[in-house]
Amino acid sequence: MMYAHFPVIAVMGLFLGAFLVEIFGTKNKYIRNTIVMIFVLLAAVLTFALIKPVMVNGEIITYWMGSWEPVEGWAIGIGYEVDALGLFFGLFCAATFVLSAIYSFRYMDSDDHLGHYYTLFLMLCGGVLGLVFTGDLFNMFIMVEIITFASAALAAFRNYKFGALEAGFKYLVIGSVGSSMILFGVALIYLQTHTLNIAQIGNEMAGNLTPVTILALGLLIMGFSVKAFIFPFHTPVVDSYATAPAPISMMFSGTVNKIGVLGLIRVLYQMFRVMDKEAMQMTLVVIGMATMFIAVTCALAQHRLKRLLAYHSISQVGYVIMAIGLATPLGVTGGLFHAMNHTVFKGLLFLCAGAVFYAAGTTNMDKLGGLSKKMPLTCACFIVGAFAISGIPPFNGFASKWMIYLAAYNKGMETGNFLYIAATIVAVVTSVMTLASFIKVTQTVFFGQLKATNDYIRDVPLSMRIPMWIGSALCIFLGVGYNFVNKTILNPAMNAAFSAERYFDVMMGDPAAASAGTNYTINLSVWNPILWLVLFAIVFAAVAIAIITTKKTVGKVMLSGSDNQDPDGKYAVFFSGERSQYSHVVGSDMFWGFRKNFSKYFDVFHKFHNGNVNDYATYCVVGGIIITIIVFIFVR
Amino acid sequence: MIVLTTILQILIFPGFLFASFIGLLLAGIDRKVLARMQHRIGPPIIQPMYDFFKLCGKETIVPAAANRHVYMLAPWASLCSLIVMCLFIPVGGLTFFSGNADLIIIIYLLTIPAVCLIIGGSSSGSPYAAVGISREMVTMIAYELPLIIVFLAIARVVGRGELVFSIKTVAEYQIANGALVSHIALIPAAIAFLLIIPAEVGTQPFDTAEAETEICEGPLVEYSGKPLALFKLNSSLKMFIMSALFTTLFIGVVYTGNVIADVVIFVAICCLVTIICMTLVHAVTARLKIEHLFKFYWTVVAGIALVSLILVWAGL
Repeated sequence: MMYAHFPVIAVMGLFLGAFLVEIFGTKNKYIRNTIVMIFVLLAAVLTFALIKPVMVNGEIITYWMGSWEPVEGWAIGIGYEVDALGLFFGLFCAATFVLSAIYSFRYMDSDDHLGHYYTLFLMLCGGVLGLVFTGDLFNMFIMVEIITFASAALAAFRNYKFGALEAGFKYLVIGSVGSSMILFGVALIYLQTHTLNIAQIGNEMAGNLTPVTILALGLLIMGFSVKAFIFPFHTPVVDSYATAPAPISMMFSGTVNKIGVLGLIRVLYQMFRVMDKEAMQMTLVVIGMATMFIAVTCALAQHRLKRLLAYHSISQVGYVIMAIGLATPLGVTGGLFHAMNHTVFKGLLFLCAGAVFYAAGTTNMDKLGGLSKKMPLTCACFIVGAFAISGIPPFNGFASKWMIYLAAYNKGMETGNFLYIAATIVAVVTSVMTLASFIKVTQTVFFGQLKATNDYIRDVPLSMRIPMWIGSALCIFLGVGYNFVNKTILNPAMNAAFSAERYFDVMMGDPAAASAGTNYTINLSVWNPILWLVLFAIVFAAVAIAIITTKKTVGKVMLSGSDNQDPDGKYAVFFSGERSQYSHVVGSDMFWGFRKNFSKYFDVFHKFHNGNVNDYATYCVVGGIIITIIVFIFVR
Repeated sequence: MIVLTTILQILIFPGFLFASFIGLLLAGIDRKVLARMQHRIGPPIIQPMYDFFKLCGKETIVPAAANRHVYMLAPWASLCSLIVMCLFIPVGGLTFFSGNADLIIIIYLLTIPAVCLIIGGSSSGSPYAAVGISREMVTMIAYELPLIIVFLAIARVVGRGELVFSIKTVAEYQIANGALVSHIALIPAAIAFLLIIPAEVGTQPFDTAEAETEICEGPLVEYSGKPLALFKLNSSLKMFIMSALFTTLFIGVVYTGNVIADVVIFVAICCLVTIICMTLVHAVTARLKIEHLFKFYWTVVAGIALVSLILVWAGL
């Protein structure tokens, strides 16, 4: 049972690292980076070591702090419980910590007070991993608080930047609203069930919901929705994503909003077990649809790269919420897979945005252009990430979105409910709009003509490129090998979400129960990406032959203003007879046909995102009240 | 052996050679019939093939502002996905890859050629291309909504509790129950699909993205030589694939017992579909503005498709 100590060591290590960095790492950057790397890698290694016992052997690992084991069936101590669901989230969160840390070393090099940065960074990592592994509701709340405060501070870390402090403040206010709702919910549950252990709460409340616990359900859904940044609670985080340093934006989209999703799954599937109620399923599907569509249309209107990516983060989490709202094995599998894929490709995209900022000093899309000449590898990584998030086969986003569409469609066919068919339609259209806004970014930032003033730009250093390469490789691997991923880690995680009884029995000291109950399997071998590999091999051969046999007729890189390299204008871009000049169509001018038809809709949402924290807090409270009312009327 | 068969399928039938030949033939027929409708003599039917080989012999110029790798690779990637699409379509009732292609995968494969055109045009660095790709993208958003609604309507009629909804299921259903176009509730869906085809292929009046007289063929403005030849070929292939998809989904396969006769009948039906939804419409309309195009697809075409979906859902 050596494994039982792994989760707690991983979490404690990260918190210990945070203090060690503050004590020893404020002066010397090598000591600081070494400490950060040691503890982050330790957490990742310990988490990945749990794959064999939890995912392969199907065990559930429990650990009682200070050996306070349950007495007469009542949990009295704080317990850690790692089931396949928690470990699944732990895996990609831990991988994100490592990539983000490696990227930070160089990216943050020119900032001051880096000791504080890494302290907060490790606190954030520890909070996320602690929340993923914990089996105690109050401990979960503590971790949420740690995450909220570390995130707010990190969002405002570059406080000399315009809007950074404002973003931190907004995050703090709205995050605190969410946290206090969670605390209130926890208190109500403790009042009713006299325990704080998630497994035991689930067992006490099964089929036994009182009005007080239903109020707690509404509060907890609201609280974790604020943490998952779903509509209408998404308003403050866009600023935080935009002003935080790129590795922190990656942490936000890869880990912080995923723990909101995990919290929702724990609350709905394992504690309250209300996902078999149709009203609850429909509520989540509607929230998911609204989130994905509204966020993607807002993204189409953005001028700044990181704000655009932030809205896409929100939109993709909408898919995850919709999928777990379907409450079918295929839907939950697709949702979990999309959560992981979103971590991979959105992390990659934020790192690319960070690379652009590092090289060019701005992410304002109207001021950039033609960067693919200067940063070819960043451009290639960005295109991979953009195709993955838009769900183009054979990248990973396609595999998970496909599962979600199929799940929604099948659910609609089974229940005869038109809502699920509408959800499929909205999901597909959202996906195309995602593609549109990424086409806008590639056109505006990477293609087109380079400004003469941007000639100094160079590609980013190696230590920043390695995380991007790893991300791109994962995008392709997860897309091509999705059947393998499904068998090894997705299937256990999905079954863990559906087996709350198992979770309870193991926690109360019966390890044999870990494999009891029914197990679903998902078999999707229809889409066979191997075919694509054969085709790409053939195409690569053809392209190689074409390139070898073609004479080299490529023009030299020529900037506007510097002529005489191309006297007859053969390699210049066509300008209807005019002399070659600088002309670049930027993002704000694109998709005019779309924006004109939707101008009234855009006006409404422009007013909705007015930047006023009071209004944002009001949206949160109103949204929470609506959810609570729905829960009260329909779920009882 | 399996690999060898796969390679033969990819390269010869129904892959590259067969599909390109039929596609270019359809393009030629389209031009000839259009000319006759406008009281012109018109080019010979194999003119697109002459054009293709002529372009292959021309010099390939990569503009100085372009990203060379993306610029050169885009037409090949587009061709690649189109050939995969060809393998998913049961030409003359012959199925490849066990005929198991999910319709949602088809939707996504259909977007790849458009994406390649967009990325290729974008990488050329021309402002004309930038305007063109923005229009191409809006066109794509426009027709994707009715397309998914049409597919879901078909799925409701044909699907019977299967996890994956494949083209093979549609083919089998039509053999058992007759062509889907004779199903009253699906007639609006068939009309909507016919209206989607011209936008997907990019023919008048929905060729806003490649408006020659206005933005000099948009994304293709800088292309020359082999890549341009490939893009022209891709456009013809799309013509074949879209009409074949309509044939497969709504009319089904006519079985005569002779494989060659089956294939010939299939191609003839495709030809008819091409003439009805592309040539005829082309001959009587003028190009739309992009905002009108978008509005047309999200109101009229999506509305027609939605009528079909609601009728099907109501159990008609």
